[in-house]
Amino acid sequence: MALTLEMETVTKTFDEFVAVDRLSFSIREGEIFGLLGPNGAGKTSSIRMMIGITGPDSGSIRLFGHSLSREGLDRVGYLPEERGLYKKMKIMENLVFLARLKGIATAEAKRRANQWLERFELGGWANARLEELSKGMQQKVQFIAAVLHQPDFMILDEPFSGLDPASSLALKDALLDLKKQGRTILFSTHRMDTVERLCDSICLINHGRSVLLGALREIKVGYGRSSVQLEYEGELPLLHDPALVANFNDFGNYVELRIAPGADPQRLLETAMRTARICKFEIVEPSLEEIFIDTVESTTRAVGSHA
Amino acid sequence: MRKILLVIQREYIVRVRTKAFIIFTVLMPLLMGAAVILPGRLMMQSAGTRHVTIACADTELAATMKSELESSRASDDEEAPAATDETRGEKRGSKQDFAVTVESAPNEELRRNLTSMVRNGALDGFAWIEPDAIRTRKATYYSRNSSDFIESTLVSRALRLALSERQLAGHGFSAAQAKTLLGPVDVNNVHISNEGATQSNGLGAFLLPFLLLMAIYMTVLIYGLYVMRSVIEEKSSRVIEVLLGSLTPMQLMAGKIIGVGAVGLTQIGIWALAGTVLGTGGFAMAGRMMGDSLKDAHISMTVLALFPVFFLLGYATYSCMYAAVGAMVNSDEEAQQLQFPVTLPLIACIVVATAVIRDPNTPLAFWLSMFPLTSPIIMFVRVSENMPPLWQLALSIALSLATLYALVWLSSRIYRVGILMYGKRPTLPEIVKWIRYS
Repeated sequence: MALTLEMETVTKTFDEFVAVDRLSFSIREGEIFGLLGPNGAGKTSSIRMMIGITGPDSGSIRLFGHSLSREGLDRVGYLPEERGLYKKMKIMENLVFLARLKGIATAEAKRRANQWLERFELGGWANARLEELSKGMQQKVQFIAAVLHQPDFMILDEPFSGLDPASSLALKDALLDLKKQGRTILFSTHRMDTVERLCDSICLINHGRSVLLGALREIKVGYGRSSVQLEYEGELPLLHDPALVANFNDFGNYVELRIAPGADPQRLLETAMRTARICKFEIVEPSLEEIFIDTVESTTRAVGSHA
Repeated sequence: MRKILLVIQREYIVRVRTKAFIIFTVLMPLLMGAAVILPGRLMMQSAGTRHVTIACADTELAATMKSELESSRASDDEEAPAATDETRGEKRGSKQDFAVTVESAPNEELRRNLTSMVRNGALDGFAWIEPDAIRTRKATYYSRNSSDFIESTLVSRALRLALSERQLAGHGFSAAQAKTLLGPVDVNNVHISNEGATQSNGLGAFLLPFLLLMAIYMTVLIYGLYVMRSVIEEKSSRVIEVLLGSLTPMQLMAGKIIGVGAVGLTQIGIWALAGTVLGTGGFAMAGRMMGDSLKDAHISMTVLALFPVFFLLGYATYSCMYAAVGAMVNSDEEAQQLQFPVTLPLIACIVVATAVIRDPNTPLAFWLSMFPLTSPIIMFVRVSENMPPLWQLALSIALSLATLYALVWLSSRIYRVGILMYGKRPTLPEIVKWIRYS
């Protein structure tokens, strides 16, 4: 299958600081790809290189099978994390201007913009200035700006942040429609629940390096059914027993934990029942969030011990 | 190129339709007209009859002074050689009616009475003339508003004439002879330029270059700052990230500078058109309203044609620098401090401009009209005052263009890196690094 984007040992350094360190991954045509990582991991720096805002110090980036060119970049849609449109201009003017920069004729841009505005229930706002809109509405306009020229490859940095549940749902449906049309989507986010439901593949980066890469399904299977979700009332001192529990995320009366290697889940349940009333006990695949935290912690430790 | 055009189009439309543009377009000529006409008009307004008392034991002297005061018309002024800019206002046509009473028995009680009359408004002022005034040529004028220099000038002038007549009479001159001797002289100013000699009376010759200077200074400054604000707007609203996904920083900067410059040219075009419609250069109207002083003030076609040339040179030079400043900062507030060193040469132009208009041929005027950061304005002032030799004009423009070329190179480098940098303002070494960063 054709590759939409290929990053090969891409490195970007600002002064002494290595923002992106020999990063390699590729995105297949038509998939939804998650670029994950904690704040400051190098996600934005990587994206800026993908759309040619900055150039890599070394390594190569290929887009649609060719090195970066204006023609290729015009087929890319970009939703930046820090939203940016002209506040004093009307919604329609903003949209038409940005679409024309991508080579779309005015009339066509207007037609498409109206369709999208209707879809996101912004039909009556075309002639309002951007600054009159709420943050969530501006966000939807920004998304429309990114898709108006029908890009084959969309780069969306935190697209769901600031959206209410109804808008999130509308956006998710829009994304799935785009995927059905065969468009490739790159998500950059640290919201794992979204990624878990939408992404086909992920690349987790930390300190500019790729620390986990592959199809989401395979990654999860690789981690095995070693996680336990437990609802309880009372105390669970066993959480601090390294012989039973590798790590955990306690919410007070709900806990997600990873069983220590070699430990028996049955013994864990027995021990738990002695100190607490157990309402639910389920052995599951680890959630992406667990994998994320686990991987980030271990790689950060590794980097820390090197330094 | 298509993308640059789109940026130009956006900058142009967004700016031309703002209220600020429309207001400035209409207001600037009005303000300039007002600056020409109002002071004169205000001066010409008679502030009503002044009630003045002359307290003098010498009744004959007092009578001469009274008649001089009552026939006072500053227009037939004999002080022409000493006339300064400040007195020019009253020299021309400012008339003041006086109602004069004479007190021939000055004593302390009278002085107290007169003082209290001035204080309660029954009297506007009184002149206190000591008996030895003929020898000392000294007197005192008491009035409520000592700042009214027209009034006090007229009083002192009346006294001087009265004293002089008295002294001339002492030397055997008749009253008529004395009048002629003391009468005004008329110096006709002829301005010799390369285009031939034109009559001028000083004021018009000074005012016109000054108005043109203000016009070019304001437009260069305002449109330069528009570019800076536009850069900051795109940076602080983060549109820049979206834009750079579609075009290069060079395209964006070029489009922005050309677009805003086109707005400036539009405005100048409107002013020129309005001026042409209103009369020759628009100043003729002002001239008619003011009478003599501006009748010779007219702009030659050469000067008119060179205005957009020097505007474009000045604007391009400064807008490049302002674009770089805009790229370095995160907000308008931060820009306030950083724009100052850039604006400094412009302000310097205004400071020295008066001297250049007075004498466009000093070494200072020459060098400032060559130095690229001041040349667009100072050279234009020289051109509007008196056409300099062609080689100087050509050299000035050539130097300006060469500097512009370097500035575009430098600014675009700072701009390209700066627009993506957020957070703290860069230090000078960092900016040098940006410039070398390729």
